Amino acid sequence: MPVVPVKIQKDGKWEVTKIDLQQDAMMIAEPFGKTIPFKSIVDLEEKKNLLLITLKSDPPVVLKVASVEKVLQALKRVIIMSCNAYRLSAYFMSPAVRGGVMVTNAAWEKGAIAVLKSSIWFVSQNKQVSVGLKEVTGMELTKREVQNKQVDVVKLDHMENTDVVTSYVLCPLSTLQILLNFLKDTTKDLDMGENELDPLSSQVGMLIYSGMDSHAIENMLNISHGEIDKIYDRLLKIGLVEIVYTRREVQLTPKGVRFITEAVKPPT
Amino acid sequence: MGRILIVDDTLFMRTLLKNILFSGGHDIVGEAADGDEAITKYQELKPDLVTMDVVMPKVNGIEALKGIRTFDPNARVVMCTAVGQEQMVKLAIKTGARGYIVKPFQAPKVLEEIKNVLGS
Repeated sequence: MPVVPVKIQKDGKWEVTKIDLQQDAMMIAEPFGKTIPFKSIVDLEEKKNLLLITLKSDPPVVLKVASVEKVLQALKRVIIMSCNAYRLSAYFMSPAVRGGVMVTNAAWEKGAIAVLKSSIWFVSQNKQVSVGLKEVTGMELTKREVQNKQVDVVKLDHMENTDVVTSYVLCPLSTLQILLNFLKDTTKDLDMGENELDPLSSQVGMLIYSGMDSHAIENMLNISHGEIDKIYDRLLKIGLVEIVYTRREVQLTPKGVRFITEAVKPPT
Repeated sequence: MGRILIVDDTLFMRTLLKNILFSGGHDIVGEAADGDEAITKYQELKPDLVTMDVVMPKVNGIEALKGIRTFDPNARVVMCTAVGQEQMVKLAIKTGARGYIVKPFQAPKVLEEIKNVLGS
């Protein structure tokens, strides 16, 4: 098994070290001098070029590991396939749709799915895709044509930074059901419950989804600032939106009017 | 930047697409509310690209795509459909669609796709 160069954070400082990936454990060289059995790893998150490895303990210990892309890929693959997680063999396609646009070169990847504490990982020989459970926005059991046959798949909608992405999972129906039930249970706080939206608020929601700002929404739907504010309040109340920033509208003071008037006068 | 014809039976969706495409510097040369109107407007306006809804009254988007491609085999048409109708993708691509957008969509991705298709 390979030995890979990494940096690991210790007391807020990055220490250069090496990880020896063995059959059942990874050995971190000095100054750490630690052997971590893969089965003690309960979570793995990826943040930019960092891996956050959570070890089973009370309280949980999180190792922050940095390295080049190739090393992180190797680490991820070994950890995901050996850590303490629910794993299933599956085909996956991720992303299949990004921001509403079909990804033209999307293809089925043969590999596995690992369900960890905070995320689901799709892993194949060349690809590792992490979907944070908090980023899952929708899931359904549906049919898709694969090699001229209609097969059952789970369609998973999730956020990837600010993009809304759709991925597909293909495996035996009974396993798909387990995955679907797990996802439904994990994300049940995203359900609308008793809350319903009137058609105008739904249209505002759709425009926000498409990336329109308040000004564009007012113009498109021909509604006033006051009306849109009320709709925003409703959407905020039921947790459908969050405030990104508050835009100010201003008018000139007499001093401002004098300045502008002077500024446009031709030079004497 | 391209001259674009927007085809959708709902005013809301046409307005949304118009806003997105206009913000990307494109020129919206016309709009059509069904497939029949789309074919007529295509012949009249000869746009660089068409965004075409799939499900529409009278003549649907796939039939309109066929009609447009008969008139202009090099027509650039990007199909636009609702979630759950993705099975139409293969048919549309086979019929000659250059791209496919699923509603709801995000503006930056739509603009990226339009740019790619216009550049193809």
